[in-house]
Amino acid sequence: MQEAKVSFSDYLHQSKSLKKNNSMQEVKIAFLSNFTINGLPEILKTKLHQEEIWVDYYNAPYNQYIQEIINNHSGLYRSSPDLIFLLLDVEKFLGDFFHFPYRYNLDQRKMFVKGKIEEIENFLIILQERSKAKIVINDFVVPAYSSRGIIESKQEWGLTESIYKINESLRNTCMNNNRLFTFPLNSFCSHHNPHPLAEPKIAYLTDMKISSDGLIGLASEYTSYVYPLISKSKKCLVLDLDNTLWGGIISEEGLAGIKLGPEKEGKSFLDFQSLILELFERGVILAINSKNNYEDAIEVIRNHKYMLLREDHFACIKINWQDKANNIKEISKELDIGLDSIVFLDDDKTNRALIRELIPEVAVIDLPEDVSLYPLVIKNLKFFNLFNITKEDAERGKMYVDQKKRSVFKLSVDDLDSFIKKLEIKVLVRLADESTLNRITQLTQKTNQFNLTTKRYKDEDIYELFRADHYLVESVMVADKFGDYGTTGVVIIKKDLVEKCWNIDTFLLSCRILGKNIEFALMKDIIEKAKIAGMKSIKGIFIPTKKNKPAENFFEDCGFITAKNQNEAREYIFDLSKEFKKEVLVEMKEWKN
Amino acid sequence: MEKLTELVARVLNIDKNIIDDNSSPETVPEWDSLNGIVLVIELEKNFNVKFTMDEVMAVQNFSDIKKALKKHSVRDEVIE
Repeated sequence: MQEAKVSFSDYLHQSKSLKKNNSMQEVKIAFLSNFTINGLPEILKTKLHQEEIWVDYYNAPYNQYIQEIINNHSGLYRSSPDLIFLLLDVEKFLGDFFHFPYRYNLDQRKMFVKGKIEEIENFLIILQERSKAKIVINDFVVPAYSSRGIIESKQEWGLTESIYKINESLRNTCMNNNRLFTFPLNSFCSHHNPHPLAEPKIAYLTDMKISSDGLIGLASEYTSYVYPLISKSKKCLVLDLDNTLWGGIISEEGLAGIKLGPEKEGKSFLDFQSLILELFERGVILAINSKNNYEDAIEVIRNHKYMLLREDHFACIKINWQDKANNIKEISKELDIGLDSIVFLDDDKTNRALIRELIPEVAVIDLPEDVSLYPLVIKNLKFFNLFNITKEDAERGKMYVDQKKRSVFKLSVDDLDSFIKKLEIKVLVRLADESTLNRITQLTQKTNQFNLTTKRYKDEDIYELFRADHYLVESVMVADKFGDYGTTGVVIIKKDLVEKCWNIDTFLLSCRILGKNIEFALMKDIIEKAKIAGMKSIKGIFIPTKKNKPAENFFEDCGFITAKNQNEAREYIFDLSKEFKKEVLVEMKEWKN
Repeated sequence: MEKLTELVARVLNIDKNIIDDNSSPETVPEWDSLNGIVLVIELEKNFNVKFTMDEVMAVQNFSDIKKALKKHSVRDEVIE
């Protein structure tokens, strides 16, 4: 994604000539507002098109957000959006109260503001009921002017405090709701450069409240919600070293000569590293891709006093004289992640051009000439956004580092079974509950390879299933002697008590725990449980997709017999009077909720 | 600095040869209200001027844009 300076009108024109291609993922986005936001949908569409995402948007008619929300058959609902952005101008939303708040006494002001909060919460409830979309509500921009001047800050439920209270209650409403998000428009408006509020003449003439530059910035922010919506969030940040993680060239300037520390230019690199470390701590995988003498560079990582990113933060380290495109391909292979989940940061233009040319799937970020702007580059990365950070997400960076240690260990053991035994794998099966709900949904959404039926579920679906008597929903946690993999498998069984049969609705394992015999331990566990429950058989179905080849023989390997082939899908049955024959090499335990 | 005709042609996404002094929202379908305001924003940026609201309202056609720019002492060679 090269950030050439594109003007507002360029975006408008580009948006009209965009073409959809088959490899693009599609997303439907609706915009509701009480002021003119023309251009915003077009810019968002254009920006996402560069990321191979096709946007169909619906921009509700000017200032008709209430009608659109309330009318069951409005264009909004007909457009069946996946994502809704609601932007409200505070002046119009508060009406008279905005201009004359102190005509009301304290109690009246409280009542009024509470009424407004209820109004907006009510809109959010209706939107949730009538659409399946995630909903992003922008908070309100707090004005700087008050007739009370310097004592505005002392007014109880004054204009300023009232708007802060509305914003706070919006935050609270969205806090524990999977479908609602607040976008901090107020803080965006105070920090974005150039200034994002429309200048007065434009605002008066067109009712645009946000300037053209502001809309471009806002569209960038909004892309953050789209990547996780279609599981396009990136996983791994690949970093250069010289003039990226520190200032200067280590092989020329030496350990004492490079810039990294608590002052001046060194502080810019330190801040840059600290922002990257924070990303690691919330689950972004880190890797190094540097043309350097290994000894020189690793010396900095191990021994430089101010280095924040150490060897243990990197899941993969490529410090060599190979070309950088090869290194990235190897990183992708070794970590078993797609090239399209990699973001590459390098100060060198030629390297960036090389990667863009040779591996277009990789997101290449431009680093500015001015190193004081490096930290901003990390702050402006939208690719790593997730709707919720599960425990597994937060620990992913570390898990991949554990994986690096496992690989070294694997080299020293020759036979696979004894390798698995020596890993001391523990598998913990746990009945689904609210605390594992998000992760279970996420696994059904994202698991492609070892997934027998590839049924995608939403949070609401899983919630219904685990509350239903005739369903069994289990999550699977895995750990070995090198570390914890977290929740990495899901089993969903539909019980048929009349036929005395369990039907396997979903059986999936995340790819990072494949090849460890865990799938067999899990099937054995299901079979034993079904026997205890007095069942006669277990039925399974394999629905082939482009990606689930690794699972295609699983039922046969477990001793299931083909029942019938229907179109593509293959049905299997296991007679519970028989024994499960496959050897199980891992330890199986039941979690008591 | 972009020349006036080129800028207008770019913003309206039309051929610059069809622009003359009488070009206006009535004669050029692309010159709608959104593009009209985009025109103001891009003219101000390109020529480093700030129009008043009255000046913006007074523009009815292409020649009015030229007048407004001249009033702000923009050099003739970039306007013509």
